[in-house]
Amino acid sequence: MPRIILRLIGQGILGLSINPWAQILTLTAVILVSFLVGLFLMAVTTLDHQLSMASGETSFQVYWRPGPDQAQSDEISRQWQEIQDIPGFLHGRTFTPEQALKEMESRLGRNSTVKDLTFIAENNPLPPTGLFAFSPPQDVQNLDYGIWIKDTSQKLWDLPGVEQVSVTPLRDELGQAWRKVNTYIMRPVIVFLTLLLGLIIGNTVRLALLSKSHEVEILQLVGAFNWYIRLPLLVCGAVQALAGSAIALVLLRFIHMQIRDVLMFPPLMLEIRFLTPEMILLMLAVPALMGLLGGWVGLKR
Amino acid sequence: MIEINHLSHNFGQHWALKDISFRLKKGEFLFLSGPSGAGKTTLLNLLFAALPVQRGEARVAEFALNSIKPAQIPLLRRQVSVVFQDFRILPERSVYDNVLLPLQVRGLSRVHSDRRVRAVVRALGLEKRSSLLCGELSGGEQQRVAVARAFVVNPQVLLADEPTGNLDAELSFRLMDLFKQFQAYGTTMIVATHSQELMRRHPEAKVIRLEDGMITGANWPGATLYPGLEQMMEQRRRTAPPQPKSTKQPEGAGS
Ligand SMILES: Nc1ncnc2c1ncn2[C@@H]1O[C@H](COP(=O)(O)OP(=O)(O)OP(=O)(O)O)[C@@H](O)[C@H]1O
Ligand SMILES: [Mg+2]
Repeated sequence: MPRIILRLIGQGILGLSINPWAQILTLTAVILVSFLVGLFLMAVTTLDHQLSMASGETSFQVYWRPGPDQAQSDEISRQWQEIQDIPGFLHGRTFTPEQALKEMESRLGRNSTVKDLTFIAENNPLPPTGLFAFSPPQDVQNLDYGIWIKDTSQKLWDLPGVEQVSVTPLRDELGQAWRKVNTYIMRPVIVFLTLLLGLIIGNTVRLALLSKSHEVEILQLVGAFNWYIRLPLLVCGAVQALAGSAIALVLLRFIHMQIRDVLMFPPLMLEIRFLTPEMILLMLAVPALMGLLGGWVGLKR
Repeated sequence: MIEINHLSHNFGQHWALKDISFRLKKGEFLFLSGPSGAGKTTLLNLLFAALPVQRGEARVAEFALNSIKPAQIPLLRRQVSVVFQDFRILPERSVYDNVLLPLQVRGLSRVHSDRRVRAVVRALGLEKRSSLLCGELSGGEQQRVAVARAFVVNPQVLLADEPTGNLDAELSFRLMDLFKQFQAYGTTMIVATHSQELMRRHPEAKVIRLEDGMITGANWPGATLYPGLEQMMEQRRRTAPPQPKSTKQPEGAGS
């Protein structure tokens, strides 16, 4: 029994060469669809990651007047302590002008010809800055969210020497919006594409069946069970699905390596994430399953 | 082994078989004769479930064809081999592979199958053609491939539709001898044929004559003539008295 099944699977794989153009077309379609699904999933992963880092937080970027003297610098470091006592404070990062310069130097050093910034260190134009994350207190209702932001940023404005406070978009609301988009657009699109995959493969398998209808008829006449006739075709479908999604994954990985850092600049600071291992497994398993399923449906009259 | 009771079959308005009844025991040999369009192929098709039973009853190799489930049909066909008028072999495969096919489908081991295939191919005088593609063979050779494929599984029942149609007299007689050998192994056989010569050479065989879907003659009591036959003959005699040929006794009937 296992030997027959192995032989039939072998037949299925060899069957790929019988009608190469039809197979190539199907494979291309499968690659395209898998690729699209992969892109969507990559977007989902990237944004999910971004939002999970920022969920529930609102960030305030505070700029002090540039070129502080020693006394002012001391005052600013004291204020940084003070900020931590504002209700809802989560975490913060602060940069003295020197630190900011160093940071900039190291960033530039990576991919710039300007290696040495010491010439501006004497007269550092960068302001002292801080990036502070706050979360709204639990008992504050949604309605008061805007007020809470205003209050908090007012507290920061009120610190002596502060020149500007900017609030990042409401990450929490962004998160909610994203979840909606994900539920109502991304998931249906992915489900649709997956069904499409099944249809494409089902159709090819059906065509393969029709193209060898003479052989199928003879097999039926000599007493072959339906699974005996269908298994090679199903294997053919599953192999196409698997090959198509594997190729799509390789393409995605390649593209990811090219574009990983394109959004990695200050206001966005977005690292495009590749699919998680679970997603990769799904991207391989689901099309193969859909190939089998589509094949099965295609073979039912 | 084969039991047919009041079997009728229609294609739309046209009744291709009318109230057919006969029974065959294990190892019996039946010639199905009759003019073109008499319903021979239709009857054979019913016997291996290529057509559904519409009216009447049919039992073949322990399978009640009236109530057979689609999943059982392959099991029926493992007991019932068929040789077709149009061969139905795979032209792009070799003689050997075509004959091997039914054994492959049954999942028999390579070694075991190989011996059987070679033996049957030799018995049909195809051993020199064994590795040729069937599409390259002559009609008679293709027919022998079809016969070899039918016999390779030692079927309980063999149905053959004009198996000698493409063979010269000498080969037809040899083929019939082969059929007789298999009959000795207990295979029940029904052979549809036009050839009077063949039937004359095998007077021991049972014969049913079909005309226009009716059994109009048989040479043993296991078959029932069409019930309305007497009346019909009477009518014909009255309406067309000057033509004695219209009531010609069917071949083998009444002996
Ligand atoms: N699929 C079909 N649809 C409609 N009519 C059919 C079909 N198959 C057979 N018939 C009709 O049924 C009748 C019996 O046909 P059948 O093929 O059984 O004859 P036969 O005895 O095998 O003839 P031959 O000796 O030429 O092979 C014929 O009149 C034929 O036209
Ligand atoms: Mg016929």
